[in-house]
Amino acid sequence: MSRHPAPDELLLDYATGVLPEGPALAVALKLALDPEARRTVDRLRALGGALLETEEAVGDVDLEGALARLDGVAVGPRPAPPMPQQGQAWAPAPLRSYIVGKDWKRAFGGFERIELALHGDTHRVALLRLEPGKGLPLHKHVANEYTVVLQGGYTDNTGSYAVGDFAVGPGPQEHEPIADPGEPCIALIVVEKPIVLTSKLGRWLNPLLRWGWM
Amino acid sequence: MLSADEAAELIEAIAARQDRAAFARLFQHFAPRIKAFLMRGGADADAAAEVAQEAMILVWRKAASFDRSRASAATWVYTIARNKRIDLLRRTGRPPIETEDWLTIFSTEGDAADKSVLDGQTYMRMKELMDGLPADQLVVIRKAFFEDKTHTAIAEELRLPLGTVKSRIRLALGRLRVALEKEEGDR
Repeated sequence: MSRHPAPDELLLDYATGVLPEGPALAVALKLALDPEARRTVDRLRALGGALLETEEAVGDVDLEGALARLDGVAVGPRPAPPMPQQGQAWAPAPLRSYIVGKDWKRAFGGFERIELALHGDTHRVALLRLEPGKGLPLHKHVANEYTVVLQGGYTDNTGSYAVGDFAVGPGPQEHEPIADPGEPCIALIVVEKPIVLTSKLGRWLNPLLRWGWM
Repeated sequence: MLSADEAAELIEAIAARQDRAAFARLFQHFAPRIKAFLMRGGADADAAAEVAQEAMILVWRKAASFDRSRASAATWVYTIARNKRIDLLRRTGRPPIETEDWLTIFSTEGDAADKSVLDGQTYMRMKELMDGLPADQLVVIRKAFFEDKTHTAIAEELRLPLGTVKSRIRLALGRLRVALEKEEGDR
């Protein structure tokens, strides 16, 4: 079991299909990297299947109408297995369509980032890459933040996070994540609202970092 | 009735040869159940029938992506139907990604636990298991499955602290896990 699992309530929201795209992407990546989380979601979906299957049929559905519509609807081809992206071996399948043709950009603050475009979401989603020993400025979160580690690892005052670990924003607590030794740390970060920087320098930087951050 | 194997074969027949008779049998089995499932969540009969129809058309289009080693027919159809429901009724803040893309982007890969809970009898036991949850947990789980609600929305609706809803979900999932592991171990 992962030392930092995704919370059950988030897996439930994912399995019932109600998560907004940003958090759904974070959970999808967690599932790609954590068989235990995958089992939980598979079981929840199976429970959905069970609820459907054991439902008592209500009459009065339009089979003729459905059959008539099939003439204009082709059966689609078998989907191709996802192709591993060159130089992006750390990116699990659900991430790949989001990062096609995108490159790391240096951000103010000594890290690199790729901003991901969502389908008009309220969340902001970015990949961050930190060299070993490098940190992010001390900050705190005003709303939910989800982090999934995809390569390397980082440590903050709440613990150490390795590949496949899932962190939920520490709430009112401040934190200052620092990349562990080894490979550069790559993580997906999903935030609901802008982050408030709390150090003196951070406060001064905040208007810049609000956009430079991700 | 339709066994899990029969249902899987019908979906595979659509994928292999656009088999309309197979579609008709699947439709007769699942469309009324999807409709009933949605009405249980508060949808009116017309809206439920529309979602059921749209979901079954998508079953036809996506038949080739069905893989019985990863999910049973009922689970797969459930996944399609609940996404269609959200597309069409849009009662959540979910962004406008088409169900098709949603299924492709966010499909789970790898080993599927569902393999071990395929047959109708097991489904009956899963449902009984859920119905046997303590009332305070059951209400939360039912809202999640039948009413398209996030745990946050459920907390607001029931006027409960978020932490209470989270712990009810964790307790309920813990029970389901233990019971299913026992069942999987019994095989």
